[in-house]
Amino acid sequence: MPNHHKIIDASRSSIIPDFKELYRYKDLFITLTWRDFKVRYAQTIIGFLWALLQPVVTLFILALVFGNFIGVNTGVPYLLFAMTGLTIWSYFSFVMTNAGSSIIASQGMIKKIYFPRLIIPLSKAAVGLIDLSISLVLMIILLFYYGIIPSSNVWLAPVFLFFGMLAALAVGIWLSALTVRFRDFQHVVPFMVQIGLYITPIAYPADFAMQHLPKWAATIYYLNPIAGVVQGFRWSIFGGEAPGYLMYVSFVMILFLFISGLFYFKKVEGDMADYV
Amino acid sequence: METAIKVENISKSYTLGTTKDNTFRHHISSLHKKTNVLNTFWALKEISFNVNKGEIIGIIGKNGAGKSTLLKILSQITKPSSGKIELNGRVASLLEVGTGFHPELTGRENIFLNGTILGMRRAEIVTKFDEIVAFSGVEKFLDTPVKHYSSGMYVRLAFAVAAHLEPEILIIDEVLAVGDSEFQKKCLGKMSEVANSGRTVLFVSHNMQAVSALTNKCILLENGMVEYYGDTNAAIQKYLCNSNDVYVNSKTPDHPYIKRVEIQSSESENIQQVNKPLTIAFDIETNRLLKGAAVSFQIVDNEGTPITHVLNIDSEVPFCNEIGVFKLKCTFPKLRLYPGKYSLTVYFAELSSKNHFETLENICPFEVIILNEIRDYYWIPNHARYIDDYHWSLLS
Repeated sequence: MPNHHKIIDASRSSIIPDFKELYRYKDLFITLTWRDFKVRYAQTIIGFLWALLQPVVTLFILALVFGNFIGVNTGVPYLLFAMTGLTIWSYFSFVMTNAGSSIIASQGMIKKIYFPRLIIPLSKAAVGLIDLSISLVLMIILLFYYGIIPSSNVWLAPVFLFFGMLAALAVGIWLSALTVRFRDFQHVVPFMVQIGLYITPIAYPADFAMQHLPKWAATIYYLNPIAGVVQGFRWSIFGGEAPGYLMYVSFVMILFLFISGLFYFKKVEGDMADYV
Repeated sequence: METAIKVENISKSYTLGTTKDNTFRHHISSLHKKTNVLNTFWALKEISFNVNKGEIIGIIGKNGAGKSTLLKILSQITKPSSGKIELNGRVASLLEVGTGFHPELTGRENIFLNGTILGMRRAEIVTKFDEIVAFSGVEKFLDTPVKHYSSGMYVRLAFAVAAHLEPEILIIDEVLAVGDSEFQKKCLGKMSEVANSGRTVLFVSHNMQAVSALTNKCILLENGMVEYYGDTNAAIQKYLCNSNDVYVNSKTPDHPYIKRVEIQSSESENIQQVNKPLTIAFDIETNRLLKGAAVSFQIVDNEGTPITHVLNIDSEVPFCNEIGVFKLKCTFPKLRLYPGKYSLTVYFAELSSKNHFETLENICPFEVIILNEIRDYYWIPNHARYIDDYHWSLLS
């Protein structure tokens, strides 16, 4: 057994996340992820089908409104177009919602036992990966159905997916920590999810927004961390003209949110038990 | 001797306030104010002590003395406001049994869940799995969701997991206060086993019987400070003697409070005869009108177990319906407590606002005796709690 020696010093509190400790608690991370997954699907009648039903229904609604009624021109079949955006957005909004409220929801544990609190939002992000995989499979099926061969940029798709996960985690970590101190964020999150669906190029191409927005507003548009990811992911699959440099604003934003989120979380972690 | 826990000048403060403090608006508006009038409460004040490896230390004190806060800091659940702690060894804390138990999951699944939450590795749980199941005695229901368990089964399973933790430092809070007496015995046995295996144990309890059985040294906390640290018997003595026969609060707090509590026993010096009247008199002072004032008390035996709970709400006997001092009394016409030592725990609250003004623990100790019937072989102290009129007859 390693020599465990721990010093708790109120006058010297570290703001650097302890990744070593986080790794020591990997079993807890796995167990909590598995618990959430199990509880999420175990007690429902159609179980796993829910993970399939949600994106499918949203997809058809989007196709009906934007593809049929409005007739947005996307260059590729609308269903497939929307599916690429929805795959990433569903994961992002899932993690945002679930990770955001996760610390409060686990208050019973937080008040009674110590473990790195970051495990909680992390496990929520991990649970979402199951739905993400299902969406990806659905997307691939649609690619086959329409007989569309992915562009030569497709090797970049995992990179964009990775940034999508990072973005979800970054926002999730921020929200989980903020919600503990300010319960207002419980109301903010559903609002963010609702708005996000429109200010992210999911149902329409990003170029659309660029055509209608003045230059300054376009920059703001890409402050939405997930906007650039969706656009990039789509480009990696369908090819075409490379996205403009504004897309990178999103990626800078993701890195900024992720790193600052880790620091903020570490800063408030110590007295979360006093606030939940 | 090697030190396992070294605590230096630990303090912990809480900011008192309403739940509104948790909103964004409050935070923003408090940024504007230069002087932020905050109501600070010190749960712990400059606590220092050392615990050597292999020692079993009891932590005792009244409610609100800071026991739970100290445990939470030692188990890293919350940070101290100031001070320093050194922990030598793997720490596990057991502030409740069944932390993280999920009702939808089966007993088997919850063993893994709870075990990892308590800090065990999955592999560790796998090795101890059979032992845990055997200890819990719920083999038959392992694959049933725990929401279908009886509360007894639930607690047994939860404790079984906890009992198989093998940390170098174990921090335990009152978990023995659960389950039936049979199971409690099993738990106590397990605890002394842990204690004798050379591990360091910190044990918080109100159960003096358990504290004296398990520990040799105790920390007595009072108002967030270490009042005494040393021999368990001396600590328990101090804890029990800390209360005078008559409770008097000579300070005048700025909220309604209990000024005085007195036991009017049948004999002098708080000695009470069984089956004679016992009166408890309260002086309550209020600086404002209360709606639904409620005063209640428990008679508690010397092990800390409440025997009876008596409540008065102002709808029955009106009090505190104007500013001033109210004198209330409660009489038991025929006290039916078994011979032994008892004390009171008194609560004072306003129901309409859910304001809890005071909890006075362990005040007004008194002793119940039987004078008329002297039968040495019969009146063994602590053999019962309650005595009633009865009549024997021979039918054939």
